[in-house]
Amino acid sequence: MTALHPTLVLVATAIAVGVTRGLARQIVMVAGAVSALAAAAALGPDASWAHTVGGQSLELLRVDSLSSLFGLIFSLITVVGVIYALQVKRASEQIATLVYAAGSLGVVFAGDWLTAFVFWEVMGIASLAVIWHGGTPRTRAAGFRYLFVHIAGGSLFFAGVLLHVAETGDLALVPLTGSGSASAGSWLILLGVAVNAAIPPLHAWLTDAYPEASVTGTVFLSAYTTKTAVYVLIRAFPGSEVLVWAGVAMALYGVVYAVLENDIRRLLGYHIVSQVGYMVAGVGMGTALSLNGSAAHAFCHILYKALLLMGAGAVIQATGRRKLTELGGIWRQMRVVVVLYLVGALSISGMPLFNGFISKSMIVTAAADDGRPLVELFLTLASIGTFLHTGLKLPYFMFFGPRREVPVRPVPRNMTVAMAIGAACCFALGVLPTWLYARLPFQAVDYNPYTVDHVVTALQLLLGTGVGFWVLVTKLGSSPTISLDTDWLYRRPFAFVWGVAVTGASRGGASIQVATRQAVAALGPVAANPVLLLTRLGGRASAPARYEANAYRLPIGVTVFCVIAGFVLLVLAVW
Amino acid sequence: MTRRGLLWTGVAAAMLVIVELMPVHESHGHHWWHLLPGFDLLYGFVGCVAIILISKAIGAAWLERTETYYEDPPE
Repeated sequence: MTALHPTLVLVATAIAVGVTRGLARQIVMVAGAVSALAAAAALGPDASWAHTVGGQSLELLRVDSLSSLFGLIFSLITVVGVIYALQVKRASEQIATLVYAAGSLGVVFAGDWLTAFVFWEVMGIASLAVIWHGGTPRTRAAGFRYLFVHIAGGSLFFAGVLLHVAETGDLALVPLTGSGSASAGSWLILLGVAVNAAIPPLHAWLTDAYPEASVTGTVFLSAYTTKTAVYVLIRAFPGSEVLVWAGVAMALYGVVYAVLENDIRRLLGYHIVSQVGYMVAGVGMGTALSLNGSAAHAFCHILYKALLLMGAGAVIQATGRRKLTELGGIWRQMRVVVVLYLVGALSISGMPLFNGFISKSMIVTAAADDGRPLVELFLTLASIGTFLHTGLKLPYFMFFGPRREVPVRPVPRNMTVAMAIGAACCFALGVLPTWLYARLPFQAVDYNPYTVDHVVTALQLLLGTGVGFWVLVTKLGSSPTISLDTDWLYRRPFAFVWGVAVTGASRGGASIQVATRQAVAALGPVAANPVLLLTRLGGRASAPARYEANAYRLPIGVTVFCVIAGFVLLVLAVW
Repeated sequence: MTRRGLLWTGVAAAMLVIVELMPVHESHGHHWWHLLPGFDLLYGFVGCVAIILISKAIGAAWLERTETYYEDPPE
């Protein structure tokens, strides 16, 4: 129990953030994030936290090369993100992001399904809080849709875990594939994880909600949820054939939507879907090279995607605009951001010397080695689309392109510093891939990205794409539109069903109430004085509002007469 | 693209293809297209054009809506 769990460090930091303010809080946040990184880096394979609860042994901390790698990158990106978000004043947002990061580390270091599920849900709730800090009505609505999808995904995950435990009696988070036929439990878990990995058609929550968060919130969101899902896929579902084509479909799906997208952060969101597609396909192939490629690509992707979103966030922070049709011609006012953004863009595009090149090419090569030429060609095609959008279209229309009169405010210094750290990491990994390769989880990597062949083909691909971009640049301009995606299903038809079942029923209930009230109002006077009804029917309106017995009492003589008459009739009848 | 830009692009493309033809280059391709000089250059260009045209066509035919689509009441 001597090892320190990084999740614990971040939770402690979150608590400290709640009780400090100003500069002290900023120091606490950076120090806490750096401590979590140090704690993650210091974990050795013998570190373990195990507890027995209700006869089940739970493993809160399990360290091996796979969890170490993901723990390292999650805590590293927390440091970068925290620096980027230093200017955020609201403690609640800072706490939400720290708890979110803590949750992702909790999943990564979990040794059993139950622990993983608990942290999985912590992540879900904390990420929702991060989204809602976007603070607009659109954010609110998108957050509710996010909640709806993740409750469904979490339930599938949990149901799968329960079934799996019921079938095998084993809680340990180990590969579920390779043991003959897949069980119902493992299918449900896979489905629940697929929601978080944003595999279409279950992906729309990502592109719906991420761009609606605050500029700092989106950076955190891009790092943890999908990559934690990739981690669980690598851990539990290596070699699941279904994931190969799911991954290829993802990679291309994001590319198509990115062509149409006008919102800069939503465009980058579609490229999260596309990039995670590579990782999912790598998991599906299940070879040592492809699994290592997926892990390495997750590591690199987190860095360059955060960098790209930090760049887009800096643009939004400086201009207050988020659409390509409203941006352009601002590169002179934000040269540093342009350069740092371009480092991220070259990284994601697989330019030699940057980190995307050393990881993406592993998965593509693994596909070729594994005898899957179509997968290789499709993933390369997605790679063309990636450079086209994040490397050419987005910077061209955002920074250069048609010049519009856009007022540019200065970007806070800490944001630029965070971007510089991210860019430095992207470049360093691109130049020194052996640092990353030495930490990959599946048998020693005998892979060298810097062969003449790899470099030349990568450069040819980029050059060819660049020429295509120049030829069609006039056609590529965005239009002020949105594109329908699978969230349409729960925003339109479901909204209709909701309208009938909930709004309709509640309106019906309300009208019944109104009718009841009107009936009571109409019947009230009659109930107070039933004689009123008779007088109204008789056309007389002089009756008092309340019933008064004396007003209608017959004279006593009539009563006496009736009694006597009755008596006489009785006597006559008997006689 | 300017004339100068076009020239440099052409030079770069030619150099990349020449390197592929030189003996230092050791192709370890599994399929015929890996051995074709300049294949990736062509694939990059054709792929890029195809992505733009096909996506735009899909978008125009089925996907694109006005920005207030979800705020407006359904027709």
